[in-house]
Amino acid sequence: MKIRIASVIALIGYTSLVVAPLYLALDRLVWVAGFDPYEWINSLSQNYITQGVIGFTFLQAIMSTFLTLLIGLPIAWQLGRHRWPLQSFVKSILTMPFVMPSIVAAMGVLHIIGPAGLDIRTEESTWFATLIIAHAWFNMALVIRFCEPVLSTLDPSLEQQMRLLPAGRTKIGRLRNLWAPLLLPSVAAAACMTFIFSFTSFALVKWITLGDNTLESVMASVGSSAGIKDYMVSRNEIILGASLIQFTILLASLWLMSWLQQRRQNLLPQASEVIVKSANPKGWLIIGPGLLFALSPLIAVLWASFRVRHTDSTGTTYEWETSGWEFAFTATNSLPSGWDALANSLGYAGLTLIIALPLGWILAQTILDVEKQRPRLARFLDILTMLPFAASSVMIGLGVMLGMIRIDAEFFYSFWATPVLAHIMITTPFVVRIMLPAIRSISPEYDECARTLGIPTWKRFFLIRLPLLRGSILIAGIFTLAMSLGEFGASWVVTRNSDWTTLPIMIDSLRSIPYNNTYTAPAACAISSVLMIITLFLFTWAEKFRPARDGGMF
Amino acid sequence: MKKIALLLGVIILNLSISGCISEEIENKTAEEPEEYEWEDDGELVIVTYDVYGLTDDMISQFENETGYEVSMLKLDDASSVLDHLLQHKGLQVADLAIGLDNTYLQTAIDNNVLWEHTATLNNISESALLPYDGPLAAPFDQGYMCMNYDTSIVDGVNYSIPISLWNFTDEEWKGKVAIPSPETSSPGRAFMTATTDYFSNDADNETEWTDWWTAMSENEAIITTGWSEAYETHYTGGYGEWTDGYVGDAHAVVSYCHSPGVESWYNENWTKSAALDLPRASFHQVEYAAAIDGGNLGAASAFIEYLLSTEVNSKMPTENSMYSVLEGIDLPEENGYRYHSVIPEQPAIVNSTTIANNMETWLEQWNSAMVDA
Repeated sequence: MKIRIASVIALIGYTSLVVAPLYLALDRLVWVAGFDPYEWINSLSQNYITQGVIGFTFLQAIMSTFLTLLIGLPIAWQLGRHRWPLQSFVKSILTMPFVMPSIVAAMGVLHIIGPAGLDIRTEESTWFATLIIAHAWFNMALVIRFCEPVLSTLDPSLEQQMRLLPAGRTKIGRLRNLWAPLLLPSVAAAACMTFIFSFTSFALVKWITLGDNTLESVMASVGSSAGIKDYMVSRNEIILGASLIQFTILLASLWLMSWLQQRRQNLLPQASEVIVKSANPKGWLIIGPGLLFALSPLIAVLWASFRVRHTDSTGTTYEWETSGWEFAFTATNSLPSGWDALANSLGYAGLTLIIALPLGWILAQTILDVEKQRPRLARFLDILTMLPFAASSVMIGLGVMLGMIRIDAEFFYSFWATPVLAHIMITTPFVVRIMLPAIRSISPEYDECARTLGIPTWKRFFLIRLPLLRGSILIAGIFTLAMSLGEFGASWVVTRNSDWTTLPIMIDSLRSIPYNNTYTAPAACAISSVLMIITLFLFTWAEKFRPARDGGMF
Repeated sequence: MKKIALLLGVIILNLSISGCISEEIENKTAEEPEEYEWEDDGELVIVTYDVYGLTDDMISQFENETGYEVSMLKLDDASSVLDHLLQHKGLQVADLAIGLDNTYLQTAIDNNVLWEHTATLNNISESALLPYDGPLAAPFDQGYMCMNYDTSIVDGVNYSIPISLWNFTDEEWKGKVAIPSPETSSPGRAFMTATTDYFSNDADNETEWTDWWTAMSENEAIITTGWSEAYETHYTGGYGEWTDGYVGDAHAVVSYCHSPGVESWYNENWTKSAALDLPRASFHQVEYAAAIDGGNLGAASAFIEYLLSTEVNSKMPTENSMYSVLEGIDLPEENGYRYHSVIPEQPAIVNSTTIANNMETWLEQWNSAMVDA
């Protein structure tokens, strides 16, 4: 098998983008702190700011994973086995939280638990549970996306046969002997990803569980003074210690995940969704609350964008007004207007799409090209493409910043497209994850057949591959747009040195204005609502193109 | 095997490229300009945090008057501004730093990242020049950092008004005091600096400043990452109760002594917050504008002069919620701004050199005091 030039270029490009910043960051941190991994890890228990961080990170990630499965599995079952009116709309609402910017989620959750909602915020004992529920809200899409395709296309004759066998006569028997073995790889893969995202949670932890940090949030709070010789050396040790633990745990999870993904490809007898799915009015008892759960933080944000506070010596009142929206879309007091942020966000999303989509596609193709002969190499490449999930945004941010300083800081800081670097890093792994199963599912016989007919390569691409992959390409594209629009953490680290505001960054800026007029909170919610509406539109649209059994992640 | 070799090659190539760059830059960093050499490129890049006094109107007026084109790099806080300057040492991208305070300035000076500005300054108050009076930085706003308390709860009946910082270690204040961490926040750092002076001048010679922090940690003081979290999320006396995520478990917080005045100004002469003026328990914070090494010195100096003009600087109280540094300009009386703001009678006395020389040690001692508790 020959290695194609496109594959090599994509690999070089991608590793430069991902490995080089990590190398630069590590190199610099070790230069300041010295090479002593024992001391790095030790520093986590010796500093006030990092005390108890390791325990908390693990505990919340494990609990979040369990709750996500508990909520996500019944919903995935109902979606996969039964028919629903406005199916694609229902599915897009239930899976949309995953692409919502975490800062929007945090605002919504805080409204719900605040005085205007459940009014439990003042009870410190509720914070941990709130965080776990917020993580489940965020990640239930993973469980749905992983499990629903398996359920919705499995030939019903399998279950019918099972019913005839002694081991499958009861529901429990069928669960144990049919559904559990069938779903286990998907459930485990979803659990792995949920664990990874909860483990590296930043914004939700920062806003909800005050005083308790994850390794990621602690790194973010000490990150800005890292990498300076003879200055705040202990911070460099903290970052190295935290990264070392985080990287090891996440790499192991990614390896497990990749192994499970390959396991999932065993072909099962499939049938059309029309045959598989039956009506189930009782299922509304699960889908109804599920929809409410998915929508409530978003409704809370929209609602809050129209509530404006008026405080004076006589007390405080709230009025229904659109002045928060007007404030958000007017440039004042050194803040750009919402229109500028929207234009930047759309521009970055478009540019990210143009680069990340082909890059991710080629990487996915490369993994498959080497998979048959060298499964280990394929897994190595697979994990390499997922590295941005494992590396903390602080490490990436620091590395990118050092890279920019070393190459030409002035150019990068004034270059409009700089934040796109971070967006490509974040979105490419998702493109790979969507394209991989799609390309894998194309039978090689089509290509072989066309080849024997003498159809040239480029024609085979346009006549066979492209039409077969159309749905997945569109989903990957829409997903890239949505992720880029909502990306906060890495752009925040990268764009902190430039003046290019995006919608999520503007939400954060509005939120952090102290003492300002009463419009800032509704304005932050107004910008969040814009982001939310665009994302909802993109996601509902994407559902139309989803192949029946994509088996992919998102 | 070939493919593995190829892949390894790709990775090694990447690493070696970054390695080459890294060596090249280390050499560059080692070189320091011996004398000021700068070009006027017609642009002014300001590195700052969210200093709200830098409004669009004010920037455009400067652009119109001088012809310079202004752009800004906005960071999180004063500490990020210093970090930025140190990280970019020898390779600065900005011309002017706005927002370093007197707990950070000396470190910047010691690291040779600033240039002497050429602005002509008039009418600067003596108090603003007290921490630093030299050509490497110009003060542009000031304030005092101290404990604030909620008068609706700390009313002398349910809670007695503290007369010593030790009162905050009493049982009644358990878990009720919010302090931004000196490790991650400049107000926290300023307040910690004040405590070093407060406890070395109190009547008690048995205890050190670190003992108070240990006692506070044992009394479950709420230590937050930044000022916003302490004031908005935890403090019951401020505007935080109207913000998302408000918890309201602290009746005292470290903030500005004029924060109650700002509350009153925004709430039409109403506030329930008050500043606690204890001798040496407050810190006089001065914020500076400074020309950055290697930048456009002409533009930076022009902006400093503009920032310190009466027209711009007199607006500091309303635009930036801070005191002006000009002689004879006070907070406005309107809406009780001046009335509710306290100027401490006896702030802590710690000079900038002492701060720069001791800050890292203090932070280590603070950390040990808190961890041991």
